Amino acid sequence: MASNDNKPSVKQQRDARRQEKVAALKKQQATARRNRRIGIVVASVAGAAAVALVVSFVVTSGQPRQDPDDVVVAGVQTWDDLTANHVTGTVDYEMTPPAGGDHAGVWMNCGVYTEQVPNENAVHDLEHGAIWFTYDPAQVTDDQIEAVTDLAPSTYSVVSPYEGMDSPMYVSAWGAQLAFDDPADPAVADFVTKYWKSTNAPEPGAACTGGVDGPGRVA
Amino acid sequence: MTDAPDDATGEGGATRASSSRRVRLVVAAVITLALVLVAGVAVGRLTSPSPVVPGDHSVEAGFSRDMQVHHEQAVEMSMIVRDRSDADDVRTIAYDIATAQAQQAGQMFAWLEVWGVPQAPSEPSMTWMTRPTLDGSYGDHSHGGATTGADGSATPAPSHVPGEPMPGLATAEQMTELRAADGVDAERLYLTLMIAHHRGGIEMAEAVVARSDDRQVDDFARGMIATQQSDIDAMQQMLAARG
Repeated sequence: MASNDNKPSVKQQRDARRQEKVAALKKQQATARRNRRIGIVVASVAGAAAVALVVSFVVTSGQPRQDPDDVVVAGVQTWDDLTANHVTGTVDYEMTPPAGGDHAGVWMNCGVYTEQVPNENAVHDLEHGAIWFTYDPAQVTDDQIEAVTDLAPSTYSVVSPYEGMDSPMYVSAWGAQLAFDDPADPAVADFVTKYWKSTNAPEPGAACTGGVDGPGRVA
Repeated sequence: MTDAPDDATGEGGATRASSSRRVRLVVAAVITLALVLVAGVAVGRLTSPSPVVPGDHSVEAGFSRDMQVHHEQAVEMSMIVRDRSDADDVRTIAYDIATAQAQQAGQMFAWLEVWGVPQAPSEPSMTWMTRPTLDGSYGDHSHGGATTGADGSATPAPSHVPGEPMPGLATAEQMTELRAADGVDAERLYLTLMIAHHRGGIEMAEAVVARSDDRQVDDFARGMIATQQSDIDAMQQMLAARG
Protein backbone atom coordinates (compact mmCIF):
# COMPACT_ATOMS: atom_id res chain seq x y z
CA MET A 1 0.00 0.00 0.00
CA ALA A 2 2.85 2.42 0.67
CA SER A 3 3.39 4.96 -2.14
CA ASN A 4 6.48 7.01 -3.11
CA ASP A 5 4.86 9.73 -5.19
CA ASN A 6 6.82 13.07 -5.18
CA LYS A 7 4.26 15.45 -6.64
CA PRO A 8 3.08 17.52 -3.64
CA SER A 9 -0.36 18.55 -4.91
CA VAL A 10 -1.18 15.10 -6.04
CA LYS A 11 0.37 13.77 -2.86
CA GLN A 12 -1.89 15.97 -0.79
CA GLN A 13 -4.87 14.82 -2.74
CA ARG A 14 -3.77 11.25 -2.30
CA ASP A 15 -3.16 11.85 1.39
CA ALA A 16 -6.64 13.20 1.72
CA ARG A 17 -8.05 10.27 -0.20
CA ARG A 18 -5.98 7.95 1.91
CA GLN A 19 -7.30 9.54 5.09
CA GLU A 20 -10.79 9.03 3.78
CA LYS A 21 -10.01 5.49 2.79
CA VAL A 22 -8.44 4.78 6.19
CA ALA A 23 -11.43 6.27 7.95
CA ALA A 24 -13.80 4.28 5.79
CA LEU A 25 -11.73 1.17 6.34
CA LYS A 26 -11.70 1.68 10.09
CA LYS A 27 -15.44 2.16 10.04
CA GLN A 28 -15.83 -0.97 7.95
CA GLN A 29 -13.58 -2.88 10.31
CA ALA A 30 -15.51 -1.64 13.32
CA THR A 31 -18.75 -2.71 11.64
CA ALA A 32 -17.28 -6.10 10.85
CA ARG A 33 -16.09 -6.47 14.45
CA ARG A 34 -19.51 -5.53 15.75
CA ASN A 35 -21.21 -7.88 13.33
CA ARG A 36 -18.86 -10.64 14.34
CA ARG A 37 -19.62 -9.99 18.01
CA ILE A 38 -23.36 -9.97 17.31
CA GLY A 39 -22.92 -13.14 15.29
CA ILE A 40 -21.10 -14.86 18.14
CA VAL A 41 -23.73 -13.78 20.69
CA VAL A 42 -26.60 -14.88 18.45
CA ALA A 43 -24.87 -18.17 17.70
CA SER A 44 -24.18 -18.79 21.40
CA VAL A 45 -27.76 -18.02 22.38
CA ALA A 46 -29.12 -20.21 19.59
CA GLY A 47 -26.72 -23.00 20.53
CA ALA A 48 -27.62 -22.75 24.20
CA ALA A 49 -31.32 -22.75 23.32
CA ALA A 50 -30.88 -25.85 21.18
CA VAL A 51 -29.00 -27.62 23.97
CA ALA A 52 -31.67 -26.56 26.49
CA LEU A 53 -34.38 -27.92 24.18
CA VAL A 54 -32.61 -31.25 23.86
CA VAL A 55 -32.08 -31.45 27.62
CA SER A 56 -35.67 -30.54 28.44
CA PHE A 57 -36.92 -33.12 25.94
CA VAL A 58 -34.80 -35.80 27.54
CA VAL A 59 -35.75 -34.75 31.08
CA THR A 60 -39.48 -34.33 30.58
CA SER A 61 -40.28 -37.17 28.22
CA GLY A 62 -37.76 -39.80 29.17
CA GLN A 63 -38.45 -40.07 32.89
CA PRO A 64 -35.87 -42.11 34.74
CA ARG A 65 -36.79 -45.74 34.52
CA GLN A 66 -35.49 -48.52 36.67
CA ASP A 67 -37.10 -51.74 35.56
CA PRO A 68 -36.75 -54.17 38.46
CA ASP A 69 -36.03 -56.88 35.90
CA ASP A 70 -32.85 -55.01 34.97
CA VAL A 71 -31.61 -54.60 38.54
CA VAL A 72 -28.67 -56.86 39.27
CA VAL A 73 -28.21 -57.56 42.99
CA ALA A 74 -24.56 -58.32 43.67
CA GLY A 75 -24.18 -61.53 45.66
CA VAL A 76 -27.84 -62.61 45.59
CA GLN A 77 -28.65 -66.31 45.80
CA THR A 78 -31.79 -67.58 44.10
CA TRP A 79 -33.85 -70.77 44.09
CA ASP A 80 -36.30 -71.96 41.45
CA ASP A 81 -39.04 -74.55 41.77
CA LEU A 82 -39.75 -74.07 45.45
CA THR A 83 -42.82 -75.93 46.65
CA ALA A 84 -45.58 -73.89 48.33
CA ASN A 85 -47.77 -76.37 50.16
CA HIS A 86 -49.64 -75.54 53.35
CA VAL A 87 -48.35 -77.88 56.03
CA THR A 88 -48.69 -78.31 59.79
CA GLY A 89 -45.69 -78.65 62.05
CA THR A 90 -42.15 -77.66 61.26
CA VAL A 91 -40.52 -77.63 57.85
CA ASP A 92 -36.90 -78.50 57.16
CA TYR A 93 -35.87 -75.64 54.88
CA GLU A 94 -32.95 -75.97 52.48
CA MET A 95 -31.52 -72.55 53.39
CA THR A 96 -31.10 -70.60 56.64
CA PRO A 97 -33.01 -68.41 57.12
CA PRO A 98 -35.69 -69.86 54.83
CA ALA A 99 -36.37 -68.05 51.55
CA GLY A 100 -39.48 -69.88 50.42
CA GLY A 101 -40.92 -73.38 50.42
CA ASP A 102 -43.77 -75.17 52.19
CA HIS A 103 -45.32 -73.15 54.99
CA ALA A 104 -48.03 -72.82 57.63
CA GLY A 105 -51.60 -72.14 56.55
CA VAL A 106 -51.68 -68.88 58.48
CA TRP A 107 -49.28 -66.09 57.63
CA MET A 108 -47.54 -63.83 60.11
CA ASN A 109 -48.45 -60.18 60.41
CA CYS A 110 -45.78 -58.06 58.77
CA GLY A 111 -43.90 -55.79 61.14
CA VAL A 112 -40.88 -55.44 63.38
CA TYR A 113 -40.20 -58.17 65.94
CA THR A 114 -37.62 -58.34 68.72
CA GLU A 115 -37.87 -62.10 69.12
CA GLN A 116 -37.28 -64.93 66.70
CA VAL A 117 -40.45 -65.71 64.74
CA PRO A 118 -41.66 -69.09 63.43
CA ASN A 119 -40.17 -69.92 60.02
CA GLU A 120 -43.34 -71.53 58.75
CA ASN A 121 -45.48 -68.41 59.29
CA ALA A 122 -42.84 -66.00 57.98
CA VAL A 123 -42.36 -68.01 54.79
CA HIS A 124 -46.07 -67.57 54.10
CA ASP A 125 -45.38 -63.79 54.09
CA LEU A 126 -42.68 -64.29 51.47
CA GLU A 127 -45.25 -66.09 49.32
CA HIS A 128 -47.37 -62.91 49.57
CA GLY A 129 -44.53 -60.74 48.27
CA ALA A 130 -43.04 -59.61 51.59
CA ILE A 131 -39.32 -59.42 52.28
CA TRP A 132 -37.79 -60.58 55.56
CA PHE A 133 -34.82 -58.91 57.23
CA THR A 134 -33.08 -61.15 59.76
CA TYR A 135 -30.10 -60.31 61.94
CA ASP A 136 -28.03 -62.53 64.19
CA PRO A 137 -28.10 -60.82 67.61
CA ALA A 138 -24.65 -62.19 68.41
CA GLN A 139 -23.13 -60.59 65.31
CA VAL A 140 -24.70 -57.13 65.07
CA THR A 141 -24.73 -53.83 66.95
CA ASP A 142 -27.85 -51.94 68.02
CA ASP A 143 -27.05 -49.35 65.36
CA GLN A 144 -27.06 -52.04 62.70
CA ILE A 145 -30.42 -53.36 63.92
CA GLU A 146 -31.79 -49.82 63.69
CA ALA A 147 -30.34 -49.37 60.22
CA VAL A 148 -31.88 -52.63 59.04
CA THR A 149 -35.25 -51.62 60.51
CA ASP A 150 -35.03 -48.32 58.64
CA LEU A 151 -34.39 -50.20 55.38
CA ALA A 152 -37.61 -52.16 55.72
CA PRO A 153 -40.60 -50.70 53.82
CA SER A 154 -43.60 -49.82 56.03
CA THR A 155 -45.68 -52.65 54.59
CA TYR A 156 -44.87 -56.12 53.28
CA SER A 157 -41.74 -56.54 55.34
CA VAL A 158 -40.72 -58.44 58.45
CA VAL A 159 -37.73 -57.59 60.63
CA SER A 160 -36.67 -60.12 63.26
CA PRO A 161 -33.65 -61.61 65.01
CA TYR A 162 -32.48 -65.03 63.89
CA GLU A 163 -29.85 -66.92 65.86
CA GLY A 164 -27.03 -68.94 64.36
CA MET A 165 -26.89 -67.48 60.86
CA ASP A 166 -23.63 -67.71 58.89
CA SER A 167 -23.79 -63.97 58.14
CA PRO A 168 -24.63 -61.06 60.48
CA MET A 169 -27.66 -60.09 58.40
CA TYR A 170 -29.83 -61.51 55.65
CA VAL A 171 -32.66 -60.17 53.58
CA SER A 172 -34.89 -62.82 52.00
CA ALA A 173 -37.74 -62.86 49.51
CA TRP A 174 -39.49 -65.82 47.89
CA GLY A 175 -36.70 -67.67 46.09
CA ALA A 176 -34.04 -65.01 46.66
CA GLN A 177 -31.69 -64.15 49.48
CA LEU A 178 -28.80 -61.81 50.20
CA ALA A 179 -26.27 -62.10 53.03
CA PHE A 180 -24.72 -58.82 54.15
CA ASP A 181 -22.69 -57.36 56.99
CA ASP A 182 -23.28 -53.68 56.25
CA PRO A 183 -26.82 -52.29 55.97
CA ALA A 184 -25.42 -49.48 53.78
CA ASP A 185 -24.26 -51.99 51.17
CA PRO A 186 -25.96 -50.82 47.93
CA ALA A 187 -26.80 -54.45 47.13
CA VAL A 188 -29.34 -54.36 50.01
CA ALA A 189 -31.20 -51.40 48.49
CA ASP A 190 -31.04 -53.12 45.09
CA PHE A 191 -32.56 -56.23 46.68
CA VAL A 192 -35.48 -54.19 48.05
CA THR A 193 -36.02 -52.55 44.64
CA LYS A 194 -36.00 -55.88 42.83
CA TYR A 195 -37.79 -58.20 45.24
CA TRP A 196 -40.17 -56.20 47.45
CA LYS A 197 -43.72 -57.16 46.33
CA SER A 198 -42.11 -58.89 43.39
CA THR A 199 -44.03 -60.95 40.87
CA ASN A 200 -41.35 -63.60 41.53
CA ALA A 201 -43.44 -64.41 44.60
CA PRO A 202 -46.43 -66.66 43.93
CA GLU A 203 -49.04 -64.28 45.42
CA PRO A 204 -47.76 -60.70 45.65
CA GLY A 205 -50.29 -58.38 47.25
CA ALA A 206 -52.08 -61.07 49.26
CA ALA A 207 -52.50 -60.00 52.86
CA CYS A 208 -49.62 -59.38 55.20
CA THR A 209 -52.05 -58.38 57.98
CA GLY A 210 -54.91 -60.23 59.61
CA GLY A 211 -52.77 -63.33 60.22
CA VAL A 212 -50.98 -64.12 63.47
CA ASP A 213 -48.57 -61.98 65.40
CA GLY A 214 -45.21 -63.54 66.14
CA PRO A 215 -43.62 -63.05 69.55
CA GLY A 216 -42.12 -59.67 70.45
CA ARG A 217 -43.89 -57.50 67.91
CA VAL A 218 -42.99 -53.82 68.36
CA ALA A 219 -44.23 -52.23 65.14
CA MET B 1 -22.75 -10.70 8.73
CA THR B 2 -20.43 -9.18 6.13
CA ASP B 3 -16.98 -10.44 5.34
CA ALA B 4 -14.02 -8.31 6.35
CA PRO B 5 -12.73 -6.40 3.29
CA ASP B 6 -9.55 -8.37 2.69
CA ASP B 7 -8.66 -6.32 -0.40
CA ALA B 8 -7.71 -3.47 1.94
CA THR B 9 -6.58 -5.22 5.11
CA GLY B 10 -3.81 -7.23 3.56
CA GLU B 11 -2.75 -10.76 4.34
CA GLY B 12 -3.22 -10.63 8.12
CA GLY B 13 -6.81 -9.56 7.63
CA ALA B 14 -7.43 -12.23 5.05
CA THR B 15 -6.25 -14.94 7.43
CA ARG B 16 -8.35 -13.56 10.22
CA ALA B 17 -11.37 -13.36 7.92
CA SER B 18 -10.99 -16.92 6.69
CA SER B 19 -10.45 -18.28 10.20
CA SER B 20 -13.53 -16.45 11.45
CA ARG B 21 -15.44 -17.88 8.49
CA ARG B 22 -14.32 -21.34 9.58
CA VAL B 23 -15.47 -20.68 13.16
CA ARG B 24 -18.81 -19.48 11.88
CA LEU B 25 -19.13 -22.56 9.68
CA VAL B 26 -18.44 -24.83 12.66
CA VAL B 27 -20.90 -22.96 14.86
CA ALA B 28 -23.52 -23.09 12.11
CA ALA B 29 -22.91 -26.82 11.66
CA VAL B 30 -23.27 -27.45 15.40
CA ILE B 31 -26.49 -25.45 15.61
CA THR B 32 -27.88 -27.18 12.53
CA LEU B 33 -27.02 -30.56 13.99
CA ALA B 34 -28.64 -29.67 17.32
CA LEU B 35 -31.78 -28.37 15.61
CA VAL B 36 -32.01 -31.46 13.39
CA LEU B 37 -31.62 -33.60 16.53
CA VAL B 38 -34.37 -31.70 18.36
CA ALA B 39 -36.64 -31.87 15.34
CA GLY B 40 -35.91 -35.57 14.96
CA VAL B 41 -36.65 -36.31 18.62
CA ALA B 42 -39.82 -34.22 18.48
CA VAL B 43 -41.09 -35.79 15.26
CA GLY B 44 -40.16 -39.25 16.46
CA ARG B 45 -41.90 -38.74 19.78
CA LEU B 46 -45.02 -37.21 18.29
CA THR B 47 -45.44 -39.86 15.62
CA SER B 48 -44.19 -42.85 17.58
CA PRO B 49 -46.96 -45.41 18.18
CA SER B 50 -45.47 -46.59 21.50
CA PRO B 51 -46.96 -44.64 24.40
CA VAL B 52 -44.75 -42.82 26.86
CA VAL B 53 -45.48 -44.54 30.18
CA PRO B 54 -45.01 -42.97 33.61
CA GLY B 55 -41.49 -43.28 34.99
CA ASP B 56 -40.04 -44.16 38.37
CA HIS B 57 -40.39 -40.64 39.82
CA SER B 58 -43.69 -39.77 38.13
CA VAL B 59 -46.74 -38.65 40.12
CA GLU B 60 -48.57 -41.66 38.65
CA ALA B 61 -46.02 -44.11 40.08
CA GLY B 62 -45.94 -42.25 43.42
CA PHE B 63 -49.72 -42.32 43.64
CA SER B 64 -49.88 -46.01 42.68
CA ARG B 65 -47.39 -46.96 45.38
CA ASP B 66 -48.80 -44.79 48.18
CA MET B 67 -52.42 -45.59 47.39
CA GLN B 68 -51.68 -49.33 47.57
CA VAL B 69 -50.44 -48.82 51.14
CA HIS B 70 -53.46 -46.62 51.89
CA HIS B 71 -55.93 -49.16 50.46
CA GLU B 72 -54.27 -52.09 52.25
CA GLN B 73 -55.01 -50.48 55.58
CA ALA B 74 -58.66 -49.94 54.60
CA VAL B 75 -58.87 -53.65 53.74
CA GLU B 76 -57.35 -54.57 57.09
CA MET B 77 -59.71 -52.29 59.05
CA SER B 78 -62.73 -53.65 57.19
CA MET B 79 -61.74 -57.27 57.81
CA ILE B 80 -61.22 -56.49 61.50
CA VAL B 81 -64.67 -54.92 61.95
CA ARG B 82 -66.31 -57.86 60.19
CA ASP B 83 -64.79 -60.07 62.89
CA ARG B 84 -65.76 -57.70 65.71
CA SER B 85 -69.33 -56.78 64.79
CA ASP B 86 -72.66 -58.50 64.01
CA ALA B 87 -74.32 -55.40 62.52
CA ASP B 88 -75.37 -56.04 58.93
CA ASP B 89 -75.03 -52.44 57.71
CA VAL B 90 -71.45 -52.04 58.93
CA ARG B 91 -70.44 -55.57 57.90
CA THR B 92 -71.84 -54.99 54.42
CA ILE B 93 -70.09 -51.70 53.77
CA ALA B 94 -66.90 -53.21 55.23
CA TYR B 95 -67.22 -56.09 52.75
CA ASP B 96 -67.76 -53.60 49.95
CA ILE B 97 -64.75 -51.49 50.94
CA ALA B 98 -62.44 -54.48 51.51
CA THR B 99 -63.15 -56.17 48.20
CA ALA B 100 -63.21 -52.93 46.19
CA GLN B 101 -59.97 -51.63 47.62
CA ALA B 102 -58.18 -54.98 47.38
CA GLN B 103 -59.10 -55.02 43.70
CA GLN B 104 -57.94 -51.43 43.25
CA ALA B 105 -54.65 -52.13 45.02
CA GLY B 106 -54.10 -54.95 42.53
CA GLN B 107 -54.89 -52.59 39.69
CA MET B 108 -52.25 -50.12 40.86
CA PHE B 109 -49.80 -52.98 41.40
CA ALA B 110 -50.34 -54.05 37.81
CA TRP B 111 -49.82 -50.52 36.46
CA LEU B 112 -46.38 -50.39 38.05
CA GLU B 113 -45.58 -53.78 36.52
CA VAL B 114 -46.75 -52.68 33.07
CA TRP B 115 -44.87 -49.39 33.35
CA GLY B 116 -41.73 -51.39 34.17
CA VAL B 117 -40.97 -49.52 37.40
CA PRO B 118 -40.34 -51.07 40.83
CA GLN B 119 -43.10 -51.52 43.38
CA ALA B 120 -40.59 -50.21 45.91
CA PRO B 121 -40.66 -46.42 46.24
CA SER B 122 -37.65 -44.53 44.97
CA GLU B 123 -38.38 -41.55 47.24
CA PRO B 124 -40.27 -40.92 50.48
CA SER B 125 -44.03 -41.44 50.37
CA MET B 126 -46.10 -38.37 49.40
CA THR B 127 -43.20 -36.74 47.56
CA TRP B 128 -45.32 -36.79 44.41
CA MET B 129 -47.97 -34.70 46.20
CA THR B 130 -45.49 -31.85 46.66
CA ARG B 131 -44.87 -31.62 42.91
CA PRO B 132 -46.44 -28.79 40.90
CA THR B 133 -49.94 -29.33 39.56
CA LEU B 134 -50.69 -29.41 35.83
CA ASP B 135 -51.88 -25.81 35.97
CA GLY B 136 -48.60 -24.83 37.61
CA SER B 137 -49.99 -24.04 41.05
CA TYR B 138 -49.01 -25.89 44.18
CA GLY B 139 -51.26 -27.83 46.58
CA ASP B 140 -54.69 -26.39 45.88
CA HIS B 141 -56.06 -29.06 48.22
CA SER B 142 -56.09 -28.12 51.85
CA HIS B 143 -55.88 -30.72 54.55
CA GLY B 144 -55.95 -30.83 58.33
CA GLY B 145 -53.26 -28.45 59.41
CA ALA B 146 -53.39 -26.35 56.27
CA THR B 147 -53.20 -22.80 57.48
CA THR B 148 -55.17 -19.78 56.46
CA GLY B 149 -53.79 -16.28 56.70
CA ALA B 150 -55.37 -13.52 58.80
CA ASP B 151 -56.97 -12.10 55.66
CA GLY B 152 -58.51 -15.47 54.87
CA SER B 153 -56.14 -16.31 52.02
CA ALA B 154 -54.71 -19.78 51.89
CA THR B 155 -50.96 -20.09 52.25
CA PRO B 156 -49.30 -21.03 48.98
CA ALA B 157 -46.94 -23.58 50.55
CA PRO B 158 -47.50 -27.26 49.72
CA SER B 159 -49.56 -28.82 52.49
CA HIS B 160 -47.60 -32.07 52.60
CA VAL B 161 -44.13 -33.04 53.62
CA PRO B 162 -42.48 -36.04 51.96
CA GLY B 163 -42.17 -38.98 54.35
CA GLU B 164 -44.92 -37.84 56.73
CA PRO B 165 -47.91 -40.16 57.24
CA MET B 166 -50.39 -40.17 54.40
CA PRO B 167 -53.65 -38.27 55.01
CA GLY B 168 -56.31 -40.36 56.72
CA LEU B 169 -54.14 -43.30 57.72
CA ALA B 170 -55.02 -44.74 61.12
CA THR B 171 -52.16 -44.90 63.60
CA ALA B 172 -50.84 -48.18 64.98
CA GLU B 173 -52.56 -47.32 68.31
CA GLN B 174 -55.92 -46.77 66.60
CA MET B 175 -55.56 -50.11 64.82
CA THR B 176 -54.80 -51.84 68.13
CA GLU B 177 -57.84 -50.14 69.66
CA LEU B 178 -60.04 -51.35 66.81
CA ARG B 179 -58.80 -54.93 67.14
CA ALA B 180 -59.65 -54.84 70.86
CA ALA B 181 -63.10 -53.25 70.46
CA ASP B 182 -66.38 -55.16 70.26
CA GLY B 183 -69.90 -54.63 68.97
CA VAL B 184 -71.15 -51.07 68.73
CA ASP B 185 -67.84 -49.69 70.04
CA ALA B 186 -65.99 -51.40 67.21
CA GLU B 187 -68.60 -50.15 64.71
CA ARG B 188 -68.34 -46.56 65.91
CA LEU B 189 -64.55 -46.65 65.88
CA TYR B 190 -64.47 -48.28 62.46
CA LEU B 191 -66.89 -45.75 60.98
CA THR B 192 -64.97 -42.83 62.48
CA LEU B 193 -61.60 -44.12 61.29
CA MET B 194 -62.88 -45.09 57.85
CA ILE B 195 -64.56 -41.73 57.25
CA ALA B 196 -61.22 -40.04 57.97
CA HIS B 197 -59.44 -42.69 55.87
CA HIS B 198 -61.72 -42.08 52.90
CA ARG B 199 -61.32 -38.30 53.23
CA GLY B 200 -57.55 -38.74 53.09
CA GLY B 201 -57.93 -41.06 50.12
CA ILE B 202 -60.06 -38.50 48.30
CA GLU B 203 -57.46 -35.84 49.00
CA MET B 204 -54.74 -38.02 47.47
CA ALA B 205 -56.96 -38.87 44.49
CA GLU B 206 -57.65 -35.15 43.94
CA ALA B 207 -53.92 -34.51 44.14
CA VAL B 208 -53.20 -36.97 41.34
CA VAL B 209 -56.06 -35.64 39.20
CA ALA B 210 -54.49 -32.19 39.53
CA ARG B 211 -51.07 -33.52 38.54
CA SER B 212 -51.55 -36.26 35.97
CA ASP B 213 -52.83 -36.33 32.42
CA ASP B 214 -52.67 -40.13 32.29
CA ARG B 215 -56.17 -41.19 31.25
CA GLN B 216 -56.27 -44.47 33.19
CA VAL B 217 -54.95 -42.95 36.40
CA ASP B 218 -57.26 -39.98 36.02
CA ASP B 219 -60.37 -42.15 35.48
CA PHE B 220 -59.37 -44.36 38.39
CA ALA B 221 -58.90 -41.41 40.75
CA ARG B 222 -62.18 -39.78 39.72
CA GLY B 223 -64.00 -43.07 40.33
CA MET B 224 -62.34 -43.32 43.73
CA ILE B 225 -63.43 -39.81 44.66
CA ALA B 226 -67.07 -40.52 43.69
CA THR B 227 -67.40 -43.89 45.45
CA GLN B 228 -65.55 -42.91 48.59
CA GLN B 229 -67.65 -39.76 48.91
CA SER B 230 -70.83 -41.86 48.71
CA ASP B 231 -69.30 -44.30 51.26
CA ILE B 232 -68.63 -41.36 53.57
CA ASP B 233 -72.28 -40.22 53.34
CA ALA B 234 -73.49 -43.74 54.12
CA MET B 235 -71.05 -44.17 57.02
CA GLN B 236 -72.05 -40.80 58.48
CA GLN B 237 -75.66 -42.00 58.59
CA MET B 238 -74.59 -45.25 60.26
CA LEU B 239 -72.54 -43.31 62.76
CA ALA B 240 -75.47 -40.94 63.48
CA ALA B 241 -77.76 -43.93 64.02
CA ARG B 242 -75.36 -45.11 66.74
CA GLY B 243 -75.60 -41.85 68.67
